[in-house]
Amino acid sequence: MLRGEHVMARLARGRLVPHRLSPEDGRVVEVAGELCGVYAAHRQAPRAGLEARLAALEEELGPRLDARRGFKIVRALAKLLEESATWEAPTEADPYTIRTRVFELAAALPEPPAGEPGLLEAPTREDVLGRVASEIGFGDVADLMYADRQGAQLLAGFEGPSPEALIERYNVAQVQGVLYAARELVVDLDRGADARLVFHYVKKMALIYRLEPTPRGYRLYLDGPLSIFGGTRKYGLRLAKFLPGLLLTSPWRLSANVEWKGRDALLDLDSEKNDLKSHYLGPKDAQEGDDVRGAFVRAWERAKDTGGWELGFGAGVLTFPELKTALVPDFTLTNAAGEEVHLEILGFWSERNLVERVALLREARARGHRVLVAASGKLGASREALSEAVAGGVIPFKERLAAKDVLAALDGERSLAEAGA
Amino acid sequence: MIELFYESGTLVATGASSGLPEPFVWDGRTRQWRAPAGAYREVVLKLRESGAPHADRAASFEKVSLESRLAMEPRPYQREALAAWGREGLRGVVVLPTGAGKTAVAVSAMERTGRSTLVVVPTLALLKQWYSVLSNAFGGSVTVGLLGGGYHEITPVTVTTYDSAYIHAERYGDRFAFVVYDEVHHLPAPKNAIIPKMLLAPYSLGLTATPERPDGGHESLPELAGPVVYRRSPEDLAGTYLAPFELVRMPIELTAQERFDYAQAEAVYRDFLEKHRLPMRSPEDWQRFIMVASTSHSGGREALLAARRRREIREGAMRKGVTLEALLRQHWEDRCIVFTKSVEEVYALSRRFLIPGITYETPAKERKEILDRFREGRYRAIIASDVLNEGVDVPDANVAIILAGSASQREYVQRLGRILRPKHDKQAVLYELVTAATGEEAASRRRRESFRKAPA
Repeated sequence: MLRGEHVMARLARGRLVPHRLSPEDGRVVEVAGELCGVYAAHRQAPRAGLEARLAALEEELGPRLDARRGFKIVRALAKLLEESATWEAPTEADPYTIRTRVFELAAALPEPPAGEPGLLEAPTREDVLGRVASEIGFGDVADLMYADRQGAQLLAGFEGPSPEALIERYNVAQVQGVLYAARELVVDLDRGADARLVFHYVKKMALIYRLEPTPRGYRLYLDGPLSIFGGTRKYGLRLAKFLPGLLLTSPWRLSANVEWKGRDALLDLDSEKNDLKSHYLGPKDAQEGDDVRGAFVRAWERAKDTGGWELGFGAGVLTFPELKTALVPDFTLTNAAGEEVHLEILGFWSERNLVERVALLREARARGHRVLVAASGKLGASREALSEAVAGGVIPFKERLAAKDVLAALDGERSLAEAGA
Repeated sequence: MIELFYESGTLVATGASSGLPEPFVWDGRTRQWRAPAGAYREVVLKLRESGAPHADRAASFEKVSLESRLAMEPRPYQREALAAWGREGLRGVVVLPTGAGKTAVAVSAMERTGRSTLVVVPTLALLKQWYSVLSNAFGGSVTVGLLGGGYHEITPVTVTTYDSAYIHAERYGDRFAFVVYDEVHHLPAPKNAIIPKMLLAPYSLGLTATPERPDGGHESLPELAGPVVYRRSPEDLAGTYLAPFELVRMPIELTAQERFDYAQAEAVYRDFLEKHRLPMRSPEDWQRFIMVASTSHSGGREALLAARRRREIREGAMRKGVTLEALLRQHWEDRCIVFTKSVEEVYALSRRFLIPGITYETPAKERKEILDRFREGRYRAIIASDVLNEGVDVPDANVAIILAGSASQREYVQRLGRILRPKHDKQAVLYELVTAATGEEAASRRRRESFRKAPA
């Protein structure tokens, strides 16, 4: 993420165009590569030196990219690289103890410690430093006095991105930077987009959503609790952090209402018309989830008797505004009688996930939705949590979810639904 | 029955049989009645008045035993301020000049409310200063918490910055019954104005020497922190409570090499001003120069660098160091604070003279220790960067040396306020080391003129 001062965007007829670097531009790749190289070469060297070198590079490399704003681009790239760095203390000595001792000794002298020895043999600065050195057994006391300052830290590790990846990070970060000043984000999700993933990030960033169906899918309005009392930029940072999550799926279009330098402006983005790449890894369950869902589809197809139920892909989003979340079923089961039951399969989960799911099931049933949730006992966290969840209506399974388990649950669910009705 | 809950900086009401009146609004997104958390006081008073059955599940305030251990001799105007604040329902702004002991008013107000308190301050330096004062005052019964500047420890008495409160208040806004806004003139800034909305705190106290804002934002202060309940100007308190002092200005000549470098940088800078017809008479002119230079295609960057270089020469003049050494020697038996603008200079001078330095980097606990030792006389002198600017509490200092000042009048007056703490039979001395034949002279003259207008 960039700081506000690094963010650059052009305003054209009310629309914001965030600054972008082309990964095809040789000069850009060269500059990015040089910066990565400077970082890598500074391992085990002090931070102050690295920062001075980077400041000098603003002057050297900046003009190659842009005569006027080049230095700012270089500064922003360096900021993004800093996120991949770890730092360590340069010494085992405790600088605080050392300087405190120095100050005490100096203050006890009858006059200020002299810079150089004189004829009067007054106590000198060297006398004080030498005495502390012999007490603590470290040499360069004057250097060690403030060795705990940030600038003295050594670059311990640097897992830097490739120059190309750095440029991608930069382009996403500039769009995020514009979103810092956003009051609201409107996302049009097409049906093909992974709504579950999107809601994962809505919840993670503690945003509040409003959902409207559209001919192509859903329109999602995102802001925060205080937003109803008048637009606020307070949630801009969270909207910015939400963006890379959204970038993991497509197709969608987003539009953000931004307060840009005291004026209202719009940011528009279309997943099909940009090359932004997310650096988020996605929720933990994505891969496992795909595996268990695929396995279930094959199991269902092999099953001899499915009790008249047809398996189809999830039929949309069930919203739970009060719980600030939504349920995005993987599958929807239908039969000739027109009954409809949604099924969600959790591949990887934490205890908290599961507790939330049980609450969601209860709420869904109270509202007349018929929902089944299946959770893998193998991938989960604890047996106790799973058995509590099963009591709450979750279908447990080991390696693969079998068709018969779902059919059995469908029967149980029907009696529940009838009892509820 | 109506139940109130605190949720991320807002107040949510459930169980209402019909619609709820203002300040509640229906939130269609989550299907709840919602109000800003700041409306808590109004909401609860209304509910009590109407006799409607309700349960308050929002507030998790704590009663804390806050009895100050500090012997603070309350001056009559501090007592008056506190009484006026009490009459307004423990909510309002107190305006007192720097050096008049605003912190003492806040400490007494905290004793009086005896509830969990959040103190909001503009800078990390003040964060550390308040930590130190509140630890001294209440350290026996509570641990003082810090939020901001790398600290994230919430306790019933917590100090935070406006920036951190903006981000985190929605998480802790239900825990504090009382909020103190130091330098409350920062509160009406667009970003900060949302902070009171996120806090339930029914009681608030704003402190400042100058509530007025050039943008007119002070008009929203009554809504944000309460009305001005008490006000005294420096004129009201001069003589009796603010000690007189002697101002000594020491011109510093540049060395031959410094003069040469300075002239070069000056030429580049002046050329640019002339070319773009930029006047340079006020801080606004400086802002305009920065803007023009950083967007100019030709020579802008060079002009910026020259301006910086020019400033560095002026502020780092070699003779300044030697003069400082002489002054330290002369005042070794006094309590002396050295002020400088540059953080790096603090560390360089601290290493050179072996006296403790304080900057925004100094950890809160160490800062407190240094100031305590300075107070006790174990340290004779300290050197500080801008961090000791707004309202720091450094009693017993009777000598101050300004190494590099800027032209801000307000800053100057506040710095003076610092060493103007009352002290028996002690004439305070303020030295200002100004580089001769440079802009710094003019800045110094400007400040003294503005100062003369105020009675000493």
